[in-house]
Amino acid sequence: MDYTIDSRPSYSLLEVTLAPGEQLVTEAGAMAWMDSNMDVETSVRGGLMSGVKRAIGGGESFFQNTYTAQGEPGTIGLAPGQPGDVYAHEMEAGELLLERGAYLASTAGIETNADFQGLRGLFNEGLFILRVSGSGLLFFNAYGDIQEIEVDGSYVVDNGHAVAWEPSLDYRLTRAGRIRSFLFSDQIIMEFSGRGRLWVQSRNPRSLANWIFPFRRVESKSN
Amino acid sequence: MYVEAMQSGAFGWALVNLDPGERFVAEAGSMFRASSNVDIDVTTRSRDTGGLMSGIKRMIAGESFFFSTFTAVGDDPAEVGLAPTLQGEVAVIDCGGRGAWVCAGGSYLGSSPHLNVDTQFQGLRGVLSGESLSFLLVDGAGPLVVNAFGKITEVEVTGELTVDNGHVVAFEDSLEYTIGKAGGSWAQSFLTGEGVTMTFSGQGRLYVQSHNPQEFGNSLGPLLPPRRS
Repeated sequence: MDYTIDSRPSYSLLEVTLAPGEQLVTEAGAMAWMDSNMDVETSVRGGLMSGVKRAIGGGESFFQNTYTAQGEPGTIGLAPGQPGDVYAHEMEAGELLLERGAYLASTAGIETNADFQGLRGLFNEGLFILRVSGSGLLFFNAYGDIQEIEVDGSYVVDNGHAVAWEPSLDYRLTRAGRIRSFLFSDQIIMEFSGRGRLWVQSRNPRSLANWIFPFRRVESKSN
Repeated sequence: MYVEAMQSGAFGWALVNLDPGERFVAEAGSMFRASSNVDIDVTTRSRDTGGLMSGIKRMIAGESFFFSTFTAVGDDPAEVGLAPTLQGEVAVIDCGGRGAWVCAGGSYLGSSPHLNVDTQFQGLRGVLSGESLSFLLVDGAGPLVVNAFGKITEVEVTGELTVDNGHVVAFEDSLEYTIGKAGGSWAQSFLTGEGVTMTFSGQGRLYVQSHNPQEFGNSLGPLLPPRRS
């Protein structure tokens, strides 16, 4: 298997070339183009419950597509829904936690499952995040560029900017700074502690949505 | 204190490196990553002067009502990452030496606590040119971080230069400007959507952005469900 990631970080596009018989699992809807010798199978990987959990919890699609190169090598181009960075992460019997919507693709030896975050999830991006485990290559994407942070001790990230982290890191949600900060600004932050790697994105899609909100047309009152 | 502009292109951000005890001020909500030895406080002022009124004035200028103040506590250096909302580059302007800077509302990202950030009302000129022409006057010595929608370009003005007001990021206060119209007449100018231009003269530096946030909002807004007023 060969891959390239083009035009990082603004408009990253992942191109994967599979040897005959090799497989790539992707988020449904991420395929931009592919060779015609690619066989596509849409399935709920890991069984129905896993799919339900992934869809409701992990913010990913219920279905995943598995692409297999038939007869000769085949190339597939994958682009995430948002402009931004794509990151290739090699895993060896490891685990990684992914924030909602960050999963793009993975090789066959990697499993994805929704992971319950407890009540703190209510104040974060959702009650579940995606737990990725196994061996192989994982590709995840972000809105903005992806920065790797080596955490040793603790580090804070604004809610909505965390993309992925190793399970050796624990996090809690906390207010930014003092009480009056909490009252006067809506900034809730994630405080990571422990030792491990953390990936963050430099933009927040929710902020952009909030920014565009006032530009909507005003509905007239008369009918 | 050392402030770096990181990345170019769509996703620029600023990394602020603080020595123990040092502080930095930023638009509230722009912090997206920080080492844990940073104390975050929210105030309505950039320095130790000014109070509620400066917050209200700033809000009118299209900026956030609040500033976040970051302080490196303890004996270790600290870091804070700042990111704007829109896609685009950030630039660090080294203020001081050559007088004050004027920063367009919406382009301010952060500043040294030694800089005084105040709203500058433009009088009739400001009214004529619409809401995006409200400025912050940044005075003092230290780094100022600005963000642009799209690419940011530094221009050295020596004679005269005309810029659409939606593309102005920041300029040195030594520059004079007059408000003009892009079309043949004011009516034409509004009809064609070209709006208002600023013609700069004198000598000084000017930062412009390749894209106009207002235009972007206007192109996306009508695609969303309307809001009830």
